[in-house]
Amino acid sequence: MTRALARMALWRLAFTVPLLFAVTLGMFALAKASPFDPVKQYLGVRALTTSPEITAQIRENWGLDKPVAEQYFTWLGNLVQGDLGESRSMHRPVIEVIGERFGWTLLATGCALVLMLVVSLAVGALAAWRRDSWLDRTITGTAYANEAAPVFWTALIVMWIFAVKLQWLPPGGLTDPAATTLEFGDVLHHMVLPVAVLAFSQSSWLLLFVRESLITTLREDFVLGARARGLRERTVVVRHALRSALLPFITLVGARIPELVTGAILVETVFSWPGVASASVEAALAADFPLLAALTLLATLAVVIGNLIADSAYVIADPRVRVLGVS
Amino acid sequence: MRIAAGVLVVLALAVVVVPLVVQLDQQLVDLGSANQAPSFAHPFGTDEVGRDVLLRVIYGLRVSLLIGLVAALVSMTIGAVAGLAAGMLGGFADRVIMRVVDGFNSVPHLLFGIFIVALFSPSATAVVVSVGLTHWTTAARIVRSEVLTLRARPFVDAAISGGSTRLRVVRRHFLPHLMPHIALASVLMVPHAIWHETALSFLGLGLPPHLASLGNMINDGARSLLAGDWWASLFPGLFILVPTLAISALVQYWRDRTNPRWRSELQL
Amino acid sequence: MKPFRVRFARLAPLVLIASLALGACSAPTVPQTSSSGSADDTFVLGIPSEPATLNPVLGYAVDGGGLMFDGLLSRNADLSLKPALADAMPATDGETVTFTLRKDVKFHDGTPLTSADVAYTYQAVMDEKNNSSIRGDFAAIESVDAPDASTVVFHLKYPYAAILQRATLGIVPKKLLDGQSLESAPFNTKPVGTGPYSFVSWTPGDKLVVKANPTYWGGAPAIKNLVVAYAGDDNVRATRMAAGEFDATVLPPKAAARFDGQQGLTVHKVDSADYRGVMFPFGQPVTGDLAIRKAVNLALDRQAMVDTILAGAGEPAYGPIAPGTTWYNAAIAGSPAPDQAQATKVLDEAGWKVGDDGVRVKDGTRASFTLMYPAGDALRKDLGLAVASDAKKVGIDIELAGLDWDAIEPRMSKDALVMGYGAPYDPDYTNYELFHSTLAGQGFFNPGFYKVPEVDALLDKGREEADPAVRKQTYDAFQQRISDDAAWAYLVYLKHVYVVRGQWTGIAPSVEPHEHETGGLFRNIAEWKPVA
Repeated sequence: MTRALARMALWRLAFTVPLLFAVTLGMFALAKASPFDPVKQYLGVRALTTSPEITAQIRENWGLDKPVAEQYFTWLGNLVQGDLGESRSMHRPVIEVIGERFGWTLLATGCALVLMLVVSLAVGALAAWRRDSWLDRTITGTAYANEAAPVFWTALIVMWIFAVKLQWLPPGGLTDPAATTLEFGDVLHHMVLPVAVLAFSQSSWLLLFVRESLITTLREDFVLGARARGLRERTVVVRHALRSALLPFITLVGARIPELVTGAILVETVFSWPGVASASVEAALAADFPLLAALTLLATLAVVIGNLIADSAYVIADPRVRVLGVS
Repeated sequence: MRIAAGVLVVLALAVVVVPLVVQLDQQLVDLGSANQAPSFAHPFGTDEVGRDVLLRVIYGLRVSLLIGLVAALVSMTIGAVAGLAAGMLGGFADRVIMRVVDGFNSVPHLLFGIFIVALFSPSATAVVVSVGLTHWTTAARIVRSEVLTLRARPFVDAAISGGSTRLRVVRRHFLPHLMPHIALASVLMVPHAIWHETALSFLGLGLPPHLASLGNMINDGARSLLAGDWWASLFPGLFILVPTLAISALVQYWRDRTNPRWRSELQL
Repeated sequence: MKPFRVRFARLAPLVLIASLALGACSAPTVPQTSSSGSADDTFVLGIPSEPATLNPVLGYAVDGGGLMFDGLLSRNADLSLKPALADAMPATDGETVTFTLRKDVKFHDGTPLTSADVAYTYQAVMDEKNNSSIRGDFAAIESVDAPDASTVVFHLKYPYAAILQRATLGIVPKKLLDGQSLESAPFNTKPVGTGPYSFVSWTPGDKLVVKANPTYWGGAPAIKNLVVAYAGDDNVRATRMAAGEFDATVLPPKAAARFDGQQGLTVHKVDSADYRGVMFPFGQPVTGDLAIRKAVNLALDRQAMVDTILAGAGEPAYGPIAPGTTWYNAAIAGSPAPDQAQATKVLDEAGWKVGDDGVRVKDGTRASFTLMYPAGDALRKDLGLAVASDAKKVGIDIELAGLDWDAIEPRMSKDALVMGYGAPYDPDYTNYELFHSTLAGQGFFNPGFYKVPEVDALLDKGREEADPAVRKQTYDAFQQRISDDAAWAYLVYLKHVYVVRGQWTGIAPSVEPHEHETGGLFRNIAEWKPVA
């Protein structure tokens, strides 16, 4: 098993390096094709009063007058050495911006992930167990509707209900701004809505999956056998059926990272959660290439790691699996 | 099933017929009748500058559908070509193409879309390009696997031994077989493309904000929502939700009947 | 404050994450914590945009309003000037202006203020190497001398009437900045000034925390701890205000409407010189035609814009100088309601005849032009839509284009644009840049290439004339000419709307400029006192 795991991890790694390389190349090509002038972006309002000589000087300092290939390798070299450049919209090093916000994104999406797993497992099992009842229909109906609803819209509606109408929870932000310290309860209070919406928006698909695979398993011989032995219904569902339905479930979670990133971008934006995902929208609105490029790389890395976790879980759970590269 | 089909027919009729009957002046506002709750005159109410939400929602759906269709077509075309090439050429080319597919799948789609739009100014074209460039991979995979199954069939061998070139085989034998699959995948792609268009518009990275598009309307409506006027953002959202549901219900029905194997390939 | 909390604060995200069994990760930077103060004596301002720097030399709070800095002069609520760091109004003699300083002023780090600091501040702004964004405002200054520790002398290149208005620039300590590259000086994010509040911490993107300066020469402020929280989204500020997180904030009129009449909250609608208008490019066949510009002006329903788009918080605008300031020429005021009959007449007389599609045509040219607005600005979008709707009624077809500033800039000489400007202090401000022919086409200055020799002469005269009565006449004539030429279609003056929690004395609204993020109603927050 260890060997299979190591082999698989190596495969992934071998794939990751050229992948990241290709992503940087693609991003750089797009940036070069962009009609925006990075010097103007950098100067902002000051561009109006800056003389052409100064602009030319900055251009030279940044090496923009050099051949494109050379620019690319300089940029790539800096990236490899950990120098992500300076955010043009926030006028601070990119690494600082990301470092400050990354933890908050990890916190929110991490909680959402856990919540999502627990909820979709429990509710999916419930729906499968009470198949074709009104409960099952309500659950699956809601899940389908939720799947079709855009998450930013769901977020707005939820915000309207809980923050505007009922005033139970704060509508956005990280802490009460009057707070000069960071308190557990305060952050938790602000976290409820974004985490719940993110988890809810991601849960439909998994929930439906759990339900379906559980229904299939419930028909299989060993479950029927367990039932025939007179075991309690709950024991049958939880101990036997759920257990064997769990395997594909785990691997699918890792593969859901891209959707999770997408959800995080929208949810963080609606709830002004100060994470990296909402920073990507701010960066985009300001055409801030260095920050946007770093965030895209980060997201790509997250996806690759997600896939790795999925594959590892699969290998660990079922040693028979032969991993054929990455296909 | 019937309900889904009925809903789609009604919406399609609305989208096609209403613009023929009632013209929406995208720039016309009526400041005198702003923020009116749903009533007989304005069944969905009016927005913050007095525009009728119902009419704008229909036009918005039309714009979104149009962009969705074009984007789906673009991504399908790229995907079909890539999938065909991978399936037909096989070997090294196949591996390279599939690695590219994996590569594209590793970048979250919305982020990639945001990246493209940010660097090329928000516009309908930028949205179409960003959706098209990010969603061709699913189509490529489907087409490739179909081609691989087809290649194993005897009539292909027969055609090749009969002296046909690869291109001719593709044109005469593969494309007719593949067309229904490609068409179905395209239909499935449309709601997804609509979702992307609305998300980008909502973030201020999509269509020009004064045009009636579902994402723009939700964005505009968010302002009045917090003041208590729920209708300006609720209805545009429903107009994304309902057709998406209807389409996926229909497709699922069709898929279950024709090709159960697909369930694992195409996930919305 | 329990020490545990402070210690916990730094670990909080880590603990949260660990407690959720998510494995190891680095703790994000915790928003700055101050070791003193609790939520009770802290006042939180919610502000839409944050400055890029806290250094006055680089353009922070140039018109006063920097809580941490004082200028030589400061403004009363009626915009008249009063001495601040100067001990009296200066002696002015044509091209030299002499200030004497107060003797009792110390910087927050305890060093006394001397004339060397003042001279250094102005020299640093004017130094080309420092790339200060406000350098152009001080172009009239030849040099600044400090003959002794408490005297500062300004030598001007030419008599410049508005120079005293520029003396509100915050003074920085020479000791902390001299010899450094200003663009990367640590001072920019950890400033030291003489103002009523001293710096505690700044978390860019989140908040600025300052505390009262107990030894302030003007008396210690009543509000001891002040947090300036940044939230760019109007909805977010409104909901956070409603949730009690903010003690005061500035809002667009619509978002503020729901706070009207709420218990414990006061809504202040403050007049401003901040206008929105349609800038017409003159070099184009349609917008270059006086009849078209006049007709658009006549067809506008400014009252409806004020009532609906601004939710009543505004005034119709007819010219670039705000009603309510001394320089306003009342003769140019038009009708807030549309006058379609007159607009039609103007167009008919000029030869614009209604064509088949309802759009007017003259010599084969359709009365059609593009009106741009910045895509992220909902207010300008709505105003643009209203203009297009009104113009359509008299047969002028306006095509809207929502673009980002990068796309707008190169198109300004060809397409009309919804712009916003306005400063209440002196009529020379912004108007010289917007209407003088020598600045035509330089970035956002005079983007429509308005070139009228009479206007140039008036602007030059107003800039150099010292006699207030003659200046008034000059700017009256300027406003009349702009209005006759219908150079812009001025739409509305905004009222800036503030919501404040609690009862305070000392709130002194004054007519505000276009840029008001750092000042506005909060300009004199150091003088606010709670009602007992």
